[in-house]
Amino acid sequence: MKYAFFQGCNIPIRIQQYATSTTAVFAKFAIELEVIPEFNCCGYPVRNVDEKAYILPSIRNLAIAEKKGLDILVICNCCFASLQKAKNVMSKNRPLMAELNAILAKEGLNYSGTAEVKHYLTVLYEEVGPEKIKAQRVNAFTGLNISVIQGCHVLRPREITHFDDSFVPRITEELLHTTGAKSLDWQGKLECCGAALAGINNDLSHTLLKEKITGAQAAGADFITPICAYCHLQFDTTQKNILLEDSGERLLPVLLFPQLLGLCLGIDELTLGIATNSTIAPEDIQRLKSLLGPPVEEKKKKKVKVAA
Amino acid sequence: MRPAAVHAVPATTRVAEALRGVFGSLFSAQIFLIVKSVFVDLLFQKRIFDKSSLRWLAHTLIFTGFILLLLMHAMHSVVTEHLFKGYQSTLNPYLFLRNIFGVMVLAGVAIAAFRRITLKPQRLRTYASDWAALVFLGVIILSGMLLEGAKISSPSKFQSMVDEYASLSSEEDGKALEAFWVQENGLISANVPLPPAPELVAKGREINGDSCIECHASNKAAFASFTVAKITPLFFTVLGDAATVTLFWYLHIVACLAFLAWLPFSKMFHILAAPVSLIVKSITGDRLQEPANILTRQMIGLSACTHCGTCSLECSSNMFYESFQNDFILPSEKVQYLKKIAAGKETDPAILKRMQQGLYVCTSCDRCTTVCPSGINLKELFVSSRYALLGQGMPETVMLSHFSFPLALAQNFVDDHLQALKKVTDIFKKSFQHLTDMALPISLGKAKDIGNTTFRGCFSCQRCTNICPVVRSYDNPAEALGMLPHQIMFSLGIGNSDLAMGAQMIWSCSTCYLCQEHCPNQVELCDIFYTLKNGALNKIEAGANS
Repeated sequence: MKYAFFQGCNIPIRIQQYATSTTAVFAKFAIELEVIPEFNCCGYPVRNVDEKAYILPSIRNLAIAEKKGLDILVICNCCFASLQKAKNVMSKNRPLMAELNAILAKEGLNYSGTAEVKHYLTVLYEEVGPEKIKAQRVNAFTGLNISVIQGCHVLRPREITHFDDSFVPRITEELLHTTGAKSLDWQGKLECCGAALAGINNDLSHTLLKEKITGAQAAGADFITPICAYCHLQFDTTQKNILLEDSGERLLPVLLFPQLLGLCLGIDELTLGIATNSTIAPEDIQRLKSLLGPPVEEKKKKKVKVAA
Repeated sequence: MRPAAVHAVPATTRVAEALRGVFGSLFSAQIFLIVKSVFVDLLFQKRIFDKSSLRWLAHTLIFTGFILLLLMHAMHSVVTEHLFKGYQSTLNPYLFLRNIFGVMVLAGVAIAAFRRITLKPQRLRTYASDWAALVFLGVIILSGMLLEGAKISSPSKFQSMVDEYASLSSEEDGKALEAFWVQENGLISANVPLPPAPELVAKGREINGDSCIECHASNKAAFASFTVAKITPLFFTVLGDAATVTLFWYLHIVACLAFLAWLPFSKMFHILAAPVSLIVKSITGDRLQEPANILTRQMIGLSACTHCGTCSLECSSNMFYESFQNDFILPSEKVQYLKKIAAGKETDPAILKRMQQGLYVCTSCDRCTTVCPSGINLKELFVSSRYALLGQGMPETVMLSHFSFPLALAQNFVDDHLQALKKVTDIFKKSFQHLTDMALPISLGKAKDIGNTTFRGCFSCQRCTNICPVVRSYDNPAEALGMLPHQIMFSLGIGNSDLAMGAQMIWSCSTCYLCQEHCPNQVELCDIFYTLKNGALNKIEAGANS
C-alpha cells in the first residue's frame, strides 16, 4: 500500500518530527508514504483573500497525485480541509473545473477527480484498524492522561471533510485507546486553537490558545496531543512565546499522536523526534517512558475490571 | 531602501565586523568547514547535483570547460608554460584538450538553453540577460573554433609557418609538404591539385616528420576546429584567407573582453559572489551571530543570484502566482527586483505595491532558501525587505490572510507588523458602514446574491452567536466585534452587505466552523464570512486603484 504524502508547508520546515514519526508508524503496517517534491501549498493561507486562488493550488496537488496514480495522505488538518473543499467545489462547478484545468494544462497536468484525500487517522482507523494496531504493540501506557485537541478543520464542515461524527468524534478516541493512554474529557477538545487569527489579531489568538492550555491543565492532562499542524505550532511554539511574556506559568508539553503510538510500537524516541517538540523537557520524556510497559498486563487488568 | 533591522549600522562597523568574521573563521577550526565547502559546494556543486542531474551536467560542463580554457589557454603564458615543460599550443595533448574543453562548454550551453525553453510552463522566467550570458559563452567558444579553423585552412598562415620553422632544401620539398598538409591537415591551397598525388603526399609525410611534427601535432587532433575549418573557404573567397584569420581573431578577443567588462554588472558576477555566499552558508548555517553582518550578507546574496529559477520552480506559492499574475510572487523575480531597489533604481509606487504583495504572498515554507544553488539566504532577504516596504506606508490587504501566521510564529519585526496591520484595519474602518454610526430606523432592502444564499434560512435563533468562541472571549462582544454572527446574517437578509463587510466580526472569526455546524437551518456562516472577507478586500483594492 502506498500514498502520496502531503506534508504542506509547515511540516517540512517546522514540524519534521510529525512527518518522520508518521512515516515510521505507517512503515510498521507496510504502508509506504511517498514524498512528492512537486506538491505546492494547499491554498489555505489565501482563503481570506480570494476563494478561487484558494481552490487552484489543491487542484494542482490532486492532479499531480492523479498523474502518479496515488491517493493523498494528509497529516495537517487545514491542508486536509483545503483538498477536500477543492474536490467538493469541483464536483459541483464544472465550468470552474475547466477554467482551472486550462491553467494546469500548461504544465501537462489535468484534474479529473480520481485521486482520493485521506487523513492519516482515517487510514490508521479504517485500513489498519485498532485490532491490528493492538496486535503490533510491544508496549502500552498506563496512567497517562492526554488532552486531545481535534482541530476544527478536520471535523467541520462535516459535509466537506467527511472525517468523523463532528459532534462526537470517535476515530481519534479509539486510536488513542490502543496506546493505553486515557483521553480526557475536556472543554477545548473540539474547539479552536487560535491559529487562524495569528498575525491578524494576536490578542484574540492568544486568548483562545490560553483558554485551551488552562482547560487541558485543569482537566489533569500530562500532555496535549494536537492533530493539526497549526494546533501543534500554537501549542509548541506560540505557547512558549506567550509564556515568556507572562512567565511563571507551567508549560503544557506537546506530544503528537504518531509519537505516542510509535513508542507503543517499539519505535525509538529519536526516530519519533520526541525531544524535538520544544515544549517537552527531559523529565517529561522520563515520565512518559516510566509509564510504558508490556501491553499484556493492561489486557488482564481490563478483564479483572470487567469481572469485578 | 534598506532592511529595517540593519538600518542603523554604519558602514565602517559593517566592514570591521565582516573582516573580523572572515579572519575569525580562517584562523579557527572552521577552516575545515571552508575546505570542505570548497570541494563539495564550489568544485563539485553538490547543491545543484541534489536538485537536477541535467542542470548539474550543464553547469559542470560550462564551469569545467571554461575555467580550464581560461587557465590553460587564455592564461597559458602564466599557467601552462610553468606547469608543463615543453608546452606548445600546437602540440598534443593541448591541441586536443582545447577542443574538448570548448565542446564541453558548447554542450553545456545547449543543455542550459534547452532547459530554459522546456521549463517555461513550470514558471521559469528567462530574461534577455539570461540569453545574453549563454550567447556570450557560445560566441567566445565558437569564434575561438572558427579562428583555429581559419588558421588550419589558411595558405598564408601555412606559408609563414613554413618560412619561420621549416628548413626546406628545395622547392620540390615545399610542394610535397604542402600536398601532405592539404591531404592530412585541412590546408586549402590553390597550388595543390585535388586530390594530391599519393607519392607527393608520401614524400611530404617524410618532410613533415623531419621538420614539423616535433612542434606541431596533426590538425585532426583539434577535432572541433578541424570540422569547423570546412566552412572557412566561404570566408576566404570573400575576404581572403589572411583577413579571415584576423576577423575571427578580433571576434574572439572582442567577445572575451566584452564578456569580462559585462561580468561585474551581470549575473555572471556569481562566479565571485556565489562561492563567498556558499562558504558563509557552510560556516554560519544561515544564522549570523553579528547583526552588523546581515546587510553585508544580503548584498553578497543579491550578487550571487544567477536567475537560474530553481527557487521559483519549487516555490510553494507557485499557484498563487497563476491566480494573481504577479511576477513578484516568484522568489527569483523578487531577487531580480530587489537588486534594482537596492541600487536605488526603482521608485514607481505601482511596481512597489506589486512587489509588496509578492513579498507577502509567501507561505514561509523556506523551500527557496533550502534549494538555492548559490546558498542565498532568501528567507531573510524577503522577510526584512517585506517589512522595509510595509514601513514605507502602503497598506497591504494580504496581511489579513493566513500568510501572517508563520510571521507571528517567528516573532520577527513584531512592532513593524502591528503598525502595518493597523494601516489596513484603519482603511476598513473608513471604507464601510458601521452599525453604531447608522441613523435609525434601518431601511429594509432586498437580499442580494453574494454567492452564498444560505443566510436566507436564518430564523434568528442565535445559536451561532451563543456557540461562538470569539464572542465568548469578550466582555462586551457587540462593541469589540461590531456585529455578532447572527446580526451579520440579519444585515445580509435586509440587503445590506456593506454593513456586513464592515463588521470587525468577520476578521475576528477563528474559522472554527462551530456556528455553521450547529446552525439548525444550514446557514453556512463561516463560508459566508469568507465570502464577505473576499468581497471587502476586493472593494478596498478597487478603491485604492481607482
